[in-house]
Amino acid sequence: MTGTVPVVELAGAGVVGPFPLVSYLDALAQFLRPSTLAGVFVRGLSKAALYVMIASGLTLVFGLMGVLNFAHGSLTMVGAYLGGLVMVLSVTAATGTALRFGLFFVAVLVTFGGLVALESAVEVSLIRPLYDRPPIYQILLTFGVTLVLDELVRIVTQFYGLQPISEWQEALSTKPELLTETFRLGSTTVSALSLFEILFGVVTVAAVWTFLTRTRYGLVIRAGSEDSEMTEALGIDVRRVFATVFALGTGIAGVAGALLMWDPVWGASVPLAADTLLPAFVVVIVGGLGTFRGTVVAALLVGMVDAVTTWWFVNAVEFSGLPEIFIFLILVVTLVVRPQGLFGVAEVGGH
Amino acid sequence: MSLLQVDDIHTYYGESHILEGVSLSVAAGEVIALIGRNGVGKTTTLRSVLQLTAPRSGSITYRGEELVGKRTHEVAELGVGWIPEERRVFSQLSVAENVRVATPKGGDVDAALELAYETFPALSERRDADAGALSGGQQQMLAIARGLVGDNDVLLIDEPSEGLAPQIVADVAEAVQRAAEEATILLVEQNLPLAMDLADRFYLLDNGQVVEDGAATRGVTDDDRIRRYLSA
Repeated sequence: MTGTVPVVELAGAGVVGPFPLVSYLDALAQFLRPSTLAGVFVRGLSKAALYVMIASGLTLVFGLMGVLNFAHGSLTMVGAYLGGLVMVLSVTAATGTALRFGLFFVAVLVTFGGLVALESAVEVSLIRPLYDRPPIYQILLTFGVTLVLDELVRIVTQFYGLQPISEWQEALSTKPELLTETFRLGSTTVSALSLFEILFGVVTVAAVWTFLTRTRYGLVIRAGSEDSEMTEALGIDVRRVFATVFALGTGIAGVAGALLMWDPVWGASVPLAADTLLPAFVVVIVGGLGTFRGTVVAALLVGMVDAVTTWWFVNAVEFSGLPEIFIFLILVVTLVVRPQGLFGVAEVGGH
Repeated sequence: MSLLQVDDIHTYYGESHILEGVSLSVAAGEVIALIGRNGVGKTTTLRSVLQLTAPRSGSITYRGEELVGKRTHEVAELGVGWIPEERRVFSQLSVAENVRVATPKGGDVDAALELAYETFPALSERRDADAGALSGGQQQMLAIARGLVGDNDVLLIDEPSEGLAPQIVADVAEAVQRAAEEATILLVEQNLPLAMDLADRFYLLDNGQVVEDGAATRGVTDDDRIRRYLSA
């Protein structure tokens, strides 16, 4: 989750050891260079793009029906394997760059459709009968779905020898050569994959934003996310809207999974489920449960903090686990200072 | 024949027995006040009609059609609107969007907006503002406008004057009267003189039961028996 960041040699001393103040000042000077800041900014944007794709479905589903879907990360992981499967089956060593991109878009469509179908089946058969129960039932159920999905994928991947814990290398190798390269952008170099992820994130945000603000269905979703009981009392079948949002949100998370399949930092693996679920929850809670605008802003905030702390704890302090701690620190501060999140509203409609 | 008929309903929150056999009837065109102290079941009666808190027993019919067992959106689609306690406007939606979302699917949105702005010119001036940024009185107007544009034949209005300044209460009373020209109204109101001014008849609730009913007149507020129920 923390990403691989080029380690910068500081003032000839290598990575800074514990507590040498001068070296920290050197690191600060290095960090404040425009080229470093630009590089960190782009990496932050690419993380934010992935977080917003994974978290947007989660927040809308909670806002509408109060369902906290613990299976969301597992569905992203299934998306990574599904996208990888399409690529591995269709790409050969002779496949050119353009065709690989074309096949990736086919994989995105297959993943989106597959995840929509899978989530619709889960929603109709398992979640719908529990709508009127207290939230703990849905939490336990979706947590159970996570365990079942993770184990199913683990069994299948072990059976086919795909190494369920480490990244699926065969899927990673279907990435076009172009996306393994770095480009000069102003004073800094950025990876083509980061730009590709940012592009996907921007397109997703624009599409969801347009859907939510320019269509009647989107208007209903925004109203239902704020107060589902009041929306139902206006003659709108909120459960049907919810089923649609559940399916679409999962489809988008699946597409994010397909993107992650090509990202060497993540890759298709069973632990991807938990690795994506935790930051997604942080983004959703920090932004405010049920608000897409909050999710976008929180994804940017978490992505940037992740990128900045990753740089510092790779280049200035050798402790790569710390960036994750900072992400959860954002969560703790938000819950203490503004429990409803940046754009959340006070409790309405029963949740 | 009554438009809305409630017969012997028993409604619970968990194990708490809130409504213990409430019965009332509302004829087309009437304004009915539901009065009583806090916690006697007035809001629960409205929630029971809408099936937001479904009764465990008893019957509620609207135009002869049984509502118990239906889902809330189905009740609303039949023409039963709700203007809830504390307004519950969609605070992150603009005024215009609040009206649009209340317009039935396939309905004329422009006509709905025109009706809302004509009825409450103050809303027209703030049509693009987030509803959460409106004053309490303006939010109440928006809540009533939402009920008006929903093609509702019956409006269940809960505590419209709650938390509003006296001058604003007069505006809201006028708004309820305008709503009464369009729809039949079942009104829950703590402000007894206001309720009696607006209503044709009243039902007095105590401990989840109707204990008194009759024509709504200012004289009712001086009735010792009713004052006992309201001040206890």
